[in-house]
Amino acid sequence: MHNWRQPGFWVSFLLVFLGGLVVLVLRQDTLRETAFTILMFVGLAASLNILMGYTGYVNFGHIVFFGLGGYFGFFLVSELGWPLYVAALGGGVLSAIIAYLIGCAVLRLRGAYFALATIGVNEAARAFVSNFEPFGGATGLYVNFSAYERYGGAGQALWLTFILLWLVALAVVVVSYLVKRSRFGLGLSAIREDEDTAMVMGVNAPMDKTKAFLISAFFPGLIGTLYFFKNGNVEPDDAFRFQMSLEVLVMVMLGGKGLLLGPILGAFAYERLRGYLIVSPIFKNLHLALSGGILLLIVLFVPGGGVGWFRDRFPRLRRWLE
Amino acid sequence: MKFWKYYPVILLVVLGLLLPGAASSASAAEKTITIGFTASQTGSLNVEAIRQINGLNLWVEHVNKAGGIKLKDGTVIKIATKFYDDESNKDRVQELYTRLINNDKADFLISPYSSPLADAAAVIAQQYKKIMITTGAASDSTYKKGFTLVYQAYTPASRYLTGSIDLLQKLDPKAKKVAVIYSNDKFSTDVVTAMKKYAEGKGLQVPMFEGYDPATTDFAPFINKIPAGVDAVMGGGHFTDTTTLARQLYEKKVPAKMISLLVAPPEPKFAELGEACICVTGSSQWEPLCKYSPEAAKKEGIEWFGPTIPEFVKAYEAKFNKQEPSYHSAGGYAAGLILQKAIESAGSIDTAKVAAAMDKENMYTFYGHIKFNTAPKLHGLQEGHEMVYIQWQKGKNGKPEKVAVWPAAASTGKAILCKR
Repeated sequence: MHNWRQPGFWVSFLLVFLGGLVVLVLRQDTLRETAFTILMFVGLAASLNILMGYTGYVNFGHIVFFGLGGYFGFFLVSELGWPLYVAALGGGVLSAIIAYLIGCAVLRLRGAYFALATIGVNEAARAFVSNFEPFGGATGLYVNFSAYERYGGAGQALWLTFILLWLVALAVVVVSYLVKRSRFGLGLSAIREDEDTAMVMGVNAPMDKTKAFLISAFFPGLIGTLYFFKNGNVEPDDAFRFQMSLEVLVMVMLGGKGLLLGPILGAFAYERLRGYLIVSPIFKNLHLALSGGILLLIVLFVPGGGVGWFRDRFPRLRRWLE
Repeated sequence: MKFWKYYPVILLVVLGLLLPGAASSASAAEKTITIGFTASQTGSLNVEAIRQINGLNLWVEHVNKAGGIKLKDGTVIKIATKFYDDESNKDRVQELYTRLINNDKADFLISPYSSPLADAAAVIAQQYKKIMITTGAASDSTYKKGFTLVYQAYTPASRYLTGSIDLLQKLDPKAKKVAVIYSNDKFSTDVVTAMKKYAEGKGLQVPMFEGYDPATTDFAPFINKIPAGVDAVMGGGHFTDTTTLARQLYEKKVPAKMISLLVAPPEPKFAELGEACICVTGSSQWEPLCKYSPEAAKKEGIEWFGPTIPEFVKAYEAKFNKQEPSYHSAGGYAAGLILQKAIESAGSIDTAKVAAAMDKENMYTFYGHIKFNTAPKLHGLQEGHEMVYIQWQKGKNGKPEKVAVWPAAASTGKAILCKR
């Protein structure tokens, strides 16, 4: 119970909670869409942080779970007519199972070898789904517009999807915190600092890494289902975009890896920066170049990420910047 | 007489009463509507998307220069556009279309380039009851989703290569076998699956139906698998792989009477294959050398609307540094014409009235025939427009020359069978 008194947790939790609440109170559709994109990346970045931030394993294949889980969840909704909530959970569970199976194999690798293997997993998943007929093969799957009627029409369905995503993002924050503050989380931190020493000290590194991988993969499956349901279709090229994996990774680095608040602020900052540049009359043709330049500067001069920099600079704030 | 003393005063009073009315009726007679869209100004689709918005912007310029769209009640509709960059990816499309509708108050929407992006935008358009014309989006599945306000300018993917089957049977009524080698992506798979069904329905056999990874560079394993006695080879995918496939089919001297491939053949760069491109046919949504004309439309008893092909090509080249318009540019302009015609017919900018007019639309433009399916299960699917089939033939100087060979209304020459 003591853990819940940590102000660092409440800062992160309230940030996501109040962000979603403001959108619900104002009920502006445009704001909802912007918030959906931000919350999606918050969820993806925070879940990646459970593996990458806590164990130090750089995963380029995080989006595989978004794609596979999303595909499976969407399949449950569109082909079997399952309710969205259950289908999303199904997507999450499948992602976790696949992560466990992959983890058993690739988490024996370390450093660059692990990172390379995760790139391969992404390509393999895309090729598999492109040839897997129950998922529509290369053509993918789509849901009829009338499917939204079940949730009170398209407008209501979009709000429902947003609310579910908000809850998922909150759940990622809570789970990230619980993992970090647990004995299991300490084991992960030990693995990050020195895996061999951690094993000598009694940490079951292979099992702990696999568990972290499994937890980290569960949430992208949920998020993928909600995202594809909202879009109305899913195709291999959308589900397994390597660029998206990189972007999520950059968000974690930008905010500060291994910290609870880091991926949340990283995702928010990255997404808002991109969003602002795209709609700005002055920068809209230069936004990719500008965002690339800014990111380069941050990574060069603030390697601990934004939150990490503040923690180093203002030690008193560490309690608040978990 | 006294009355005439007050004539100037009376005149002023009368004018005073009339002028504000006249002024207010003048302002009521002119409205500006906003057309919203996203354009892939960056990312993998930017070349095609920019050509598409060039076409659309040219239409806007033409309409506004001509004084706007004139309705029957005298109202003049001027056009304004609002667009954002969608970065060629789906993440932001729904967010940006919601913004276009709610913040920018877009009255009508044009789709982003490519079917996946258009699909995502269509959900938002339908939700907010806004008419969206899709251009650069050929997928059939968008129109099987129950949308009522989404209309397709392009010939759907399912009819991309079916004309090749008709052409084959016309050139060689004894043809029996077609081998299909295609890129294993959504667009190509949609096209060849529909084409296979069509071919089988026409009594042809498809003894080979093989998909390849879009990044394939060596087609020898596929070419070696082509069964003996095949009359035609069809398929391909996108520019690079299709060009390589065409070259390797030539190098291997595959004795097919017809080679019909996707995407690459209409591109001028395809001629760089030299001998290997001769006799290869391909389909295009539109080509500057098409022969659609008001006269041909009249013969069919269908109304002609908008500029002729030479007028469009001339205007486009004048505006965009002599760059020849591609079918993407023509599709962008045609999307505008489709909307313009519907607004004119409806005599209103009311969504329901314009949609009703759109449902009834049946016209020829420089881009070809436009008519939409109005059945609930396929509403908005383009059913009038036909692909134009081009074939590379040896010109008088021995160099490859592009000839439109199908359909008859658009053709500039006769198709030939391959002799390899």
